[in-house]
Amino acid sequence: MDDVIKLDAANYKDLLKHYIDTQDEKSLYGVEQVSKSFIKNHILPEEIVNLHIQALAELYPEMSEKFQHSMDFLLEAMISYGLAHQEFQMLREKQYEIKSEISVAASMQNTLLGTTKPEIEGLDIGIVSVPAHQMNGDYHHFVKGKDGSLGIAIADVIGKGIPAALCMSMIKYAMDSYPEDSMEPKSILKNLNRVVERNVDASMFITMLYAQYLPCEHKLHYASAGHEPGFYYDAEKGTFTEIETKGLVLGVSSDAEYEQYELKVNKGDMVILLTDGVTECRDGDRFIESEEILEVIKSYEDLPAQEMVNKVYKHFERLQDFELRDDFTLLILRREV
Amino acid sequence: MNLSVDITNESEKSIVNLSGEIDAYTAPQLKDAVLPLTKTPEHTVEIDLENVNYMDSTGLGVFISALKSTKEHGSKMKLVNIQDRVLRLFKITGLDEIMDINSAIRGGSE
Amino acid sequence: MTPQSCVTIQKEWDIVGARQLGRDIAKKMGFGTVDQARIATAISELARNIYLYTENGQICFEVVENMNRKGLVILSTDNGPGIDDIGRVMEDGYSTSGGLGAGLPGVKRLMDEFDVQSEVGVGTKIKAIKWAR
Repeated sequence: MDDVIKLDAANYKDLLKHYIDTQDEKSLYGVEQVSKSFIKNHILPEEIVNLHIQALAELYPEMSEKFQHSMDFLLEAMISYGLAHQEFQMLREKQYEIKSEISVAASMQNTLLGTTKPEIEGLDIGIVSVPAHQMNGDYHHFVKGKDGSLGIAIADVIGKGIPAALCMSMIKYAMDSYPEDSMEPKSILKNLNRVVERNVDASMFITMLYAQYLPCEHKLHYASAGHEPGFYYDAEKGTFTEIETKGLVLGVSSDAEYEQYELKVNKGDMVILLTDGVTECRDGDRFIESEEILEVIKSYEDLPAQEMVNKVYKHFERLQDFELRDDFTLLILRREV
Repeated sequence: MNLSVDITNESEKSIVNLSGEIDAYTAPQLKDAVLPLTKTPEHTVEIDLENVNYMDSTGLGVFISALKSTKEHGSKMKLVNIQDRVLRLFKITGLDEIMDINSAIRGGSE
Repeated sequence: MTPQSCVTIQKEWDIVGARQLGRDIAKKMGFGTVDQARIATAISELARNIYLYTENGQICFEVVENMNRKGLVILSTDNGPGIDDIGRVMEDGYSTSGGLGAGLPGVKRLMDEFDVQSEVGVGTKIKAIKWAR
């Protein structure tokens, strides 16, 4: 490395001499290259000032003493800059380290919380779930019951990022321990509420909508723990209605009870479940109204469910300049036959 | 966007006037201001949200921990003058049923 | 080994005195201008800690010599509040806190060897060495 520095130092001196004689742009371009090499080799500002002082002394041995003192003064002034620069360098390395750790954690999360979209005859399902940062605080989960029913959980932990993701793993493992396919939505929520209430910080909470689709009866049973309301699309009338639910968020009160509702799903009808990352989209300073979301969904009505949710996501991603403010999860369920 | 927190202390009541947005950035500030007030038994903490036009779930988290703290310490919390958009959040999450909330804007109708 | 020379730090002005003494010794030992400036900055950081956070402290200098090299030792001793978590103080990013010990990672960078001993309520001893090249 010392050789590089010596070479750069000699180069610096030549360029300086040339510039003093001609003031041409070429020498300035040259010093830009040398300066980049200095940065690459971790040469500190005070060392560059020192190099300059030495070059001047060699080129102009008769240089005034006062001028020399002024250069020493500049060198002193650079020391703290050099320190700050070294510190930034270290912090930047640390940041890379943390970033790569988080991306490992994110891929672990994907494996841990992964769920596969089930194939159920007569049912078209589309799901998109995108985190605002590297780790997702939204969660969705499919369970296919022995009786042919389909269990769907969609949840949102307060906040985003790592704390939210950690909390989600807890939910996932609690749910795994239930005989889910034989439990009703309201009892699943009641059980989860106790787990969350016992295990999380006072200011943390989770919202969840749990639904169970019974393909033979074409019915949806569902219960909500303070979750963002979904929508029901009536294909015959071509209208959307908000799916009204009552129920306290998970983790606030240990004795919360949940009401269960039932919905008849006709041919071509859709059930749309989402998280507040969808409803709280902003276009600049303007909040997007739910009518607007429904209009966008309706405009892709003719596509398969998965393509619909992809298109809707792309629409709002673009609207928000490709920067999500919150985790975004959208699920569409459509009865085909 | 910022949040300004203005507290007026009376003998048995503290009135907290909030103005701005409550989100992940301003929520810690709100928590630091409100939580200590809930630790005096018999004390009422009245939080005026008339000038809060946006709140996200982090804000709800602060009110939930404040509510838990009032139960622990025997104090009371009241939320007044909530704007519709913010009230919707309390309704969706079911918190309107376990918190003392008054949505009427001063001088307006219920 | 030469006898120690010390500066007691009480007023802000004493920081300048410590820098001056340290620089004179460094110059005599043959340190170049860049190293002189680094040594002076390290002295400043140590002396400012004493001036800002403790009632009483000293900066001492010593020249050490072994077979093949010569070094300047800076010793900073105080009976101030002490540093509880040295690890945290030495972490990058702490320097912006402006608190006790904020300049220490800088001192470590400016010098070749660095050692801290501290006890809460008793005081802090710091030893830093710069070797002449």
